[in-house]
Amino acid sequence: MTDHRDDDAGREGALIEVRELAKHFSVRRRIDDDADRSVDTVGRAPRRRLFSPRRRATVRAVDGISFRIAAGEVVGYLGPNGAGKSTTLKMLTGLLVPTSGDVTVAGRVPWRERRRHVATIGAVFGQRTSLWWDLPVIESFDLLRYIYRIPPERYRANLNMFRDLLELDAFLQTPVRSLSLGQRMRADFAAAMLHDPAVLFLDEPTIGLDVVAKERVRRFIRHVNAERGTTVLLTTHDLADVQRLCDRVLIIDGGRLLYDGDLPELQRRFGGRRELVVDLAEDIGADGGVDDGRLAFPGADIVARDGPRITYAFDREGVSAADLIAQLTRRLRVVDLALKEPDIEATVRRIYEERLLDG
Amino acid sequence: MATQRRGADDAATPPVGAGEFVRHNAGLLVRLVHAQVRSQTQFRMSFTMDVVTSFLVFAFEFGALAALFVRFHTLGGWTLGQVAFMGGLTAMSFKTMDMLFSGFDPADFGDGVRKGTFDAILLRPAPLTIQVLGSRFVFHRLGAIAEGLAVFALANWLVDVRWTAAKLAFLPVVFIGQMAFFAALFIAGSTVTFWTVDSIEAVNILTYGGHELNQYPAHIYPLPLRRFFTYVVPTLFLCYYPALYLLDKPDPTGMPPWARFVGPAIGLACFALANALWGVGIRHYRSTGT
Repeated sequence: MTDHRDDDAGREGALIEVRELAKHFSVRRRIDDDADRSVDTVGRAPRRRLFSPRRRATVRAVDGISFRIAAGEVVGYLGPNGAGKSTTLKMLTGLLVPTSGDVTVAGRVPWRERRRHVATIGAVFGQRTSLWWDLPVIESFDLLRYIYRIPPERYRANLNMFRDLLELDAFLQTPVRSLSLGQRMRADFAAAMLHDPAVLFLDEPTIGLDVVAKERVRRFIRHVNAERGTTVLLTTHDLADVQRLCDRVLIIDGGRLLYDGDLPELQRRFGGRRELVVDLAEDIGADGGVDDGRLAFPGADIVARDGPRITYAFDREGVSAADLIAQLTRRLRVVDLALKEPDIEATVRRIYEERLLDG
Repeated sequence: MATQRRGADDAATPPVGAGEFVRHNAGLLVRLVHAQVRSQTQFRMSFTMDVVTSFLVFAFEFGALAALFVRFHTLGGWTLGQVAFMGGLTAMSFKTMDMLFSGFDPADFGDGVRKGTFDAILLRPAPLTIQVLGSRFVFHRLGAIAEGLAVFALANWLVDVRWTAAKLAFLPVVFIGQMAFFAALFIAGSTVTFWTVDSIEAVNILTYGGHELNQYPAHIYPLPLRRFFTYVVPTLFLCYYPALYLLDKPDPTGMPPWARFVGPAIGLACFALANALWGVGIRHYRSTGT
């Protein structure tokens, strides 16, 4: 199964190729100005649905997305809730058939050749398990070995490695239903990688995990990427995942791709401002007192003001922090200072909230 | 742009020879069913309770039936033994089907489609039908099957069935035909849940209602009901008419003589039809949104 990786990637140039991908859902909407119908819908749903006239609305969950991912990349797929992340992932794994557009993964169209496609990918959907609920973990693994036709020596080698990396030994004989969330996720990761997939699709792989468990999972992802060249596409709301794992991020919102590039570039474009929080000894400018210009600095804007606490924002390129601090302390009696570097989390949040990437 | 379609799942060329393909998937089915049995027998106490309970339920039902006959002696001209003969026969085949095709039980299958457990099946490189069959196996139906067998044996003791070689050969055919028919209802019902889960109750009426219906001599039912279960959903061909033949009873419904023998063929035809529908369902299935 490992052999798919090399020849397919070589021929195609990209392991995952997505062109103008779109998925529109037709949903029933309650129409508020149509009072009769809305009462009807509430009162007699859902059995009437088949026969009653429907008000249909189209939701463009994914609306024309294109990207290419080369073999060996680790790509973060980010966006606010409802942006279309899971829908995209479901199309790439072959669970959903798109409305239009093309996808090839290792040269195959996921929903056309389901069995061959899923034999070459691994998937972990954080919310649910792919293991047999009432069986000990090791028996689920054994079933997967049979299903994927994993050669015995390969299976043994992988299992041994994952037992080490994910510290599975403590619960290999435990039924899945009795595992903690962290243990279950580790078992699911091992299950997804037993057959040496070329691509690993992860939907919220660290959701609900504690710090230690998150770190263990991230270490595992980095390891399989480095050692086996496994390509990884992951959605997450935890930006630490992105910072620790991803060479590249795709940001989508409203079903459209807004950004495709690396993190530092994103930071430079949208998160470039550092902040200096200054605590003054006196409350200048409050109570009608005169703001005599001592607070103004070219290139640094006051973005927040709370009594004697003033927050400046400034660009790294325009103003040096040392300069700003020197001037401030010369002009004013400063009690305390704090310099805040822009973090990726704030940057991405700002992008979502202010729709910085729109249009 | 052309509408995207899913490929025909199980028609995809296997990466191995055909013989090996069949062997592998038969082995897979055995393993999956074994996993289900192991899962259920892990809770030994609750498993035993389940088997005992389902046996008891059936025993009480039979007791109630027998009590009726103490009062009324016959039902539509049939004795207790003759009704029990039909009841036992239909129970055996229906409950066996209910066990073997648990994975296609529309209520559970529809649940899986809605909750996304069917997605886990789509993510594994094995035929969907095998996986669905192996996704659930209600082992404790053995209790009900044993009860059906007991009722059938009891009936044979109560009634002097004039067994001939032809009848003995026909009996397993009736058994299989009825299984195929109800399995067809299960499969068709599950397929429908790809589009809507609202019609599960309607399918359940046909399945469980049809099974109940098949336990009693059909001529006691009102004509419209009989017509529906003869011409729309041909349930009555599966057990009632074959039972007329096996018990040498006259046909008060006035059907031609061949009506007693077409049941199994109808069952198998419905099974084939349901499988075709299942194939269409798989190709058009588009998973749930989130």
